[in-house]
Amino acid sequence: MNSTNRALNRGLVFVIGLLLLVAGGGVAAGALVPGVRGPVVRAAKSASGPTSDALSSQQPAILWGVAAASLILIALLVLFVVRQGRGHTATLVTAASGSLVIEAKVAEELLKETLSRDPAIVSVGVAAFRVRSQSVLRVTAQTRRGASPVDVRSTIDRAVAEWHTVLGAETPVVIQIVAGVRTRISGASRVA
Amino acid sequence: MSTPAIYRRVVRRETHSSRAGIAIALAVILILVFAWFGIESVLAALGRTPLLVAPKSSVAAVLAAASAPVGALTAGGIVAALIGILLIVVALAPGRRGRRHGSSDRTAAVVDDRVIAQSVAQSAAFAGSVDPDQVHVTVARRSVVVDVTPTSGRPADVEAIGAAVDRELASYDFVPALRGRVRLETKGVVGR
Repeated sequence: MNSTNRALNRGLVFVIGLLLLVAGGGVAAGALVPGVRGPVVRAAKSASGPTSDALSSQQPAILWGVAAASLILIALLVLFVVRQGRGHTATLVTAASGSLVIEAKVAEELLKETLSRDPAIVSVGVAAFRVRSQSVLRVTAQTRRGASPVDVRSTIDRAVAEWHTVLGAETPVVIQIVAGVRTRISGASRVA
Repeated sequence: MSTPAIYRRVVRRETHSSRAGIAIALAVILILVFAWFGIESVLAALGRTPLLVAPKSSVAAVLAAASAPVGALTAGGIVAALIGILLIVVALAPGRRGRRHGSSDRTAAVVDDRVIAQSVAQSAAFAGSVDPDQVHVTVARRSVVVDVTPTSGRPADVEAIGAAVDRELASYDFVPALRGRVRLETKGVVGR
């Protein structure tokens, strides 16, 4: 639920895949298909002269251009990597006047306190995200092995209702019920 | 923006992969390649000795290889094309994460299929009076398969197990919904 640009991720993967397919397929076809081989050989022969000239040290402008282009592409790619996984926020609610700020930490402490009493839940994580200019709370519960997801869900629902009463307002809440590392090492629940 | 619309977006993001891992890996590889290009270009422009290969010689080598196809080059091309196809598939596939969702008016929930499998296994083991280790549950997109290995010399009650699994699944309000099927192993194991 972070604000990662997923279309961009898929776009990058798709473009690189397409380039590899075209380049690799071209090379393989050039070698295997006799009809394609002739033009490929001729094109490569005629291209080798000009490209060697362009990239030789007699024409430093082109080499500097290649270096600059590489630098720009590197900067864009670093930006792309750093942009992943953003969208966390520490502030859950800001009152209209701006004088009152409620941190997500408050919700975290309160929900953890309430939910740690349920033996079916091994651990609780709470994080707040900005989704389309609205704060959304995400409650992640790791269950004990064999715990009913329906029961865990209603326990968390009740805890969230309590939290909304305390807060005096309702914020969107997303509950995640997962089996994690803690699930595996904590024993199976004894009550079916 | 209304809460249901936010929930739709968040649930979609939590049940599908962001493709961040592969996109970051590809970006890092590209950064390294471009960094190498850039450094070699600068070294060539300054007339220094190249790190590995001067740009001129590397381009010449590629063009020479294309005009004189060899087995290794063809194989490399085919491998590159296959990787390309794989990346295109990854870019276009939905990338489901094995989770399903349910929402009430107050909250939205996302449940990991592993939690469901463990819960169903617990119910089945309890109904069939077998050890939870003798029950193996597989959760597919729309169905649950429960494999029960009976204890030797004590026939397992398939009907009771089936009823328990169906009851468990009927209590879920998660989407996509699940249908249960119980299979009994013909060979038993020594009970605990």
